[in-house]
Amino acid sequence: MPKWFTPAAGLCAVMFGLSPLVIASAPYESTMGLVQKIFYFHMPSAWMFLIAALVCGVASVRYLFGGSARQDRIAWSAAEMTFLFGALALVTGPLWARKAWGVWWQWDVRLTASLMGWMVSCAYLLLRKYGGPGSDKLAAGLALFGAANVPFIYISVNYWRTIHPTTSVVPTLPFSMGFPLTFCVLAFLLLFILLMQMRIRLEDQRARLDTLYLSLDE
Amino acid sequence: MPSFIRIVAAILLVAGLAAPVFAAASQGQPPSEPQSEFIPIDQLPPQDQLPAAPLLIGAYAFVLLALFAYVFSVASRLTKVQREVERLEGDLKRGGRG
Repeated sequence: MPKWFTPAAGLCAVMFGLSPLVIASAPYESTMGLVQKIFYFHMPSAWMFLIAALVCGVASVRYLFGGSARQDRIAWSAAEMTFLFGALALVTGPLWARKAWGVWWQWDVRLTASLMGWMVSCAYLLLRKYGGPGSDKLAAGLALFGAANVPFIYISVNYWRTIHPTTSVVPTLPFSMGFPLTFCVLAFLLLFILLMQMRIRLEDQRARLDTLYLSLDE
Repeated sequence: MPSFIRIVAAILLVAGLAAPVFAAASQGQPPSEPQSEFIPIDQLPPQDQLPAAPLLIGAYAFVLLALFAYVFSVASRLTKVQREVERLEGDLKRGGRG
């Protein structure tokens, strides 16, 4: 692992440890009250989900057109992050919605597109695990669809009016709410980088293991 | 019989058995009274008020548990592969000397 990994992991643990205090210091939102505080973990999870899907897509394009195995390993790692953070966003969202909207789920554009993006990451991972030889290229093609879905997820709420808040809400938050949100986003971003580093390292080691087995056979 | 056919058959059987239950449940609910005016959430009858704390705690607990589980999973996979790499490198070195 690189030298910065351990201090960064410590910083990330401290940030997650402090996050309940920072979130508790944020004021209650006037109409939703306490349940709105799910927002401080829901939105960073959703952002990491979108970032991971984009990283997976970009690395897949570079793998498809450049052929570098390293890019394939990055794409695979990012697909797992997409699955993880997507699951977090898709579970915390309905828990918030049940109180705020009165329903667990709405088949609106953002929620449906997010679910589709998460299902693409599931398909990617299943393909890599059970697809056999050639599944790397097929999965890379699938990742392109996942990445193309990202801008659609982001802007959909501005074009199709639904009960999900639009993208204009976050920039207009007061400092008392914006600071906890920024703090949580930074904590999640740091965690995302650390997990990507660990996951890519795992794939690098697996590739090394394959090379060593081939050397033993020769 | 191939295993996937058995799985498909089991899914179809479960869906077939569950369908009448869901149909009865959806038909059995009496239509609620239409609401003609805005009622503030704190003035709703107790049975219609949903406590926020379990949802909030559930959301944070799920996030933290899922993250811990994933970190543990990646760390254990990484340790296992690194041990295997070290073992094979040792075998190769010993083979090279011999």
